[in-house]
Amino acid sequence: MATRGEPASLLGITVWRSFNTGRLYLVIGLVVSAFWAGILGATDSPTFDTIVPLLIPVLANTGTMGGMLVFTNDRVKGVLEYLLAYGVSPRRIFMNVLVASFVQVSIVTTLAIGAGVTVHFASGYGVDATFVRATLTYSVPMNFAVAAFVSTAGMFWTSLSTPRSGMNSPLGLLPLLGIAPPGLVLILTEALPGYYFVLTSGAAVVIAVAAIALIRNLDRLLPRERLLSPA
Amino acid sequence: MTLASTSAVGGVGISCRSVTSGYLGHPVLHEVSFSIDEPAIYVVLGPNGAGKTTLFRTLAGILRPTQGEVFVGGEPIDRQSSRDRLHYLSHVDGMPDGLTVREALGFYAAVEGATTADVERVLGQLEVADLAEKYLSELSAGQRKRVSIGRVFLRERSIYLLDEPTANLDPKLSREIRNLILRLSQNRIVLYSSHNLFEAREIGRYVLAIRSGRLAIFDRIENLRGTRYLIGLRTVEPTDALSDFTRQGDYFLRELPGPEAVPELISDVQRRGVKIREVREMDNPLEDLFT
Repeated sequence: MATRGEPASLLGITVWRSFNTGRLYLVIGLVVSAFWAGILGATDSPTFDTIVPLLIPVLANTGTMGGMLVFTNDRVKGVLEYLLAYGVSPRRIFMNVLVASFVQVSIVTTLAIGAGVTVHFASGYGVDATFVRATLTYSVPMNFAVAAFVSTAGMFWTSLSTPRSGMNSPLGLLPLLGIAPPGLVLILTEALPGYYFVLTSGAAVVIAVAAIALIRNLDRLLPRERLLSPA
Repeated sequence: MTLASTSAVGGVGISCRSVTSGYLGHPVLHEVSFSIDEPAIYVVLGPNGAGKTTLFRTLAGILRPTQGEVFVGGEPIDRQSSRDRLHYLSHVDGMPDGLTVREALGFYAAVEGATTADVERVLGQLEVADLAEKYLSELSAGQRKRVSIGRVFLRERSIYLLDEPTANLDPKLSREIRNLILRLSQNRIVLYSSHNLFEAREIGRYVLAIRSGRLAIFDRIENLRGTRYLIGLRTVEPTDALSDFTRQGDYFLRELPGPEAVPELISDVQRRGVKIREVREMDNPLEDLFT
């Protein structure tokens, strides 16, 4: 009987399934992000330039929900076990979920920035260097760092035990891991406006380092046994 | 233990050499060794917790043995060419959420390198074409199981590992599933786990009995010593109509050839005008197998 070499990557179907499963959260993320970016877009430049880049990472990580729900459901239903049997590695399963989260986070980020800037220009204001710098050094890297951190930690958390509603589900984990870090940065920069770029860049680096450390140790954190259905 | 005579299609057999395996360093299987080359249905029997699922997961390459090796067609199981010779059906249905039946089979087809034509063929073959656009969440347990089993028909393989495919199914559907598996087993090696000795007798040619993580018996099914199937009936009211039954406390006992004879026994008792309160198996035939 013919063999077929490497198993299929399943990236496309994982991205599609994460959209399908997490569409409610994605829509909420899109609407809320666009709404707040639009509201702030109508304000004067200093407020817009500093607040919008801080707000986007708080809202954009709703884009991680689809991928994490696919991971959690697939584990419980025995789909991950099936994929392992057909030669798909745990790392590939994880990376597919991570990429699916990145795609959705990118969509929320792009829409939020686009809506904010459009309204800001339409209101007769320009975009200054502070906005561009904060977006490039904080919003974009923080979005992906938080997505990676939430996805990795969320998969590890949900793999530890039998999923129940609440803290064992990715939904329960999101406020803690996804919203707290950028939320904290938002509060700290309000309290210490003189340290705006130190705080934002520093936070992005810390979360990125944490996410990279988790990803590098994935094989130890998510051994094959942890991907099996608890049923 | 080796029971090899004729070869499976393509000469592909499956073997375990002194395999110890388990979860997160805790062994469940202990030094299991066997070699299978002959195409047939091999029923893996054992009580709950004996290690049947762990054996299947190890044979499928999901769990990595802490000791020993699994070979498929003479190659270690961790090679993709070995995995491509196996189909694995877990004891949970393995159906992804949020998809229709056609989409779910399409997902499995993508994993296995099958085509959309294969999906359509399986939909027809399993008589689930009318369910194709339904979401999996809308299906009954039996329909889900049928679709779940459908994925092993997407592509032909040499070896099929089916972990309790009839668990929690009603007798009629169990029989349908067994018939599907019998069709599947032509010139294939099928390992089929069950905790039902009578089911094993119905479809299996060989039995691998697992007890406490060790292979206790590997033999042709006809060589297993006879086991009795003892049914106890408790009636709603005291009765003299069952004087030909043996009495044990409140129970009227009758030895039957197997579970398939239970409906006829119940009909017979009801014809005598006796109202039945309870019907239960008085012995565990599987325990008899190990004693």
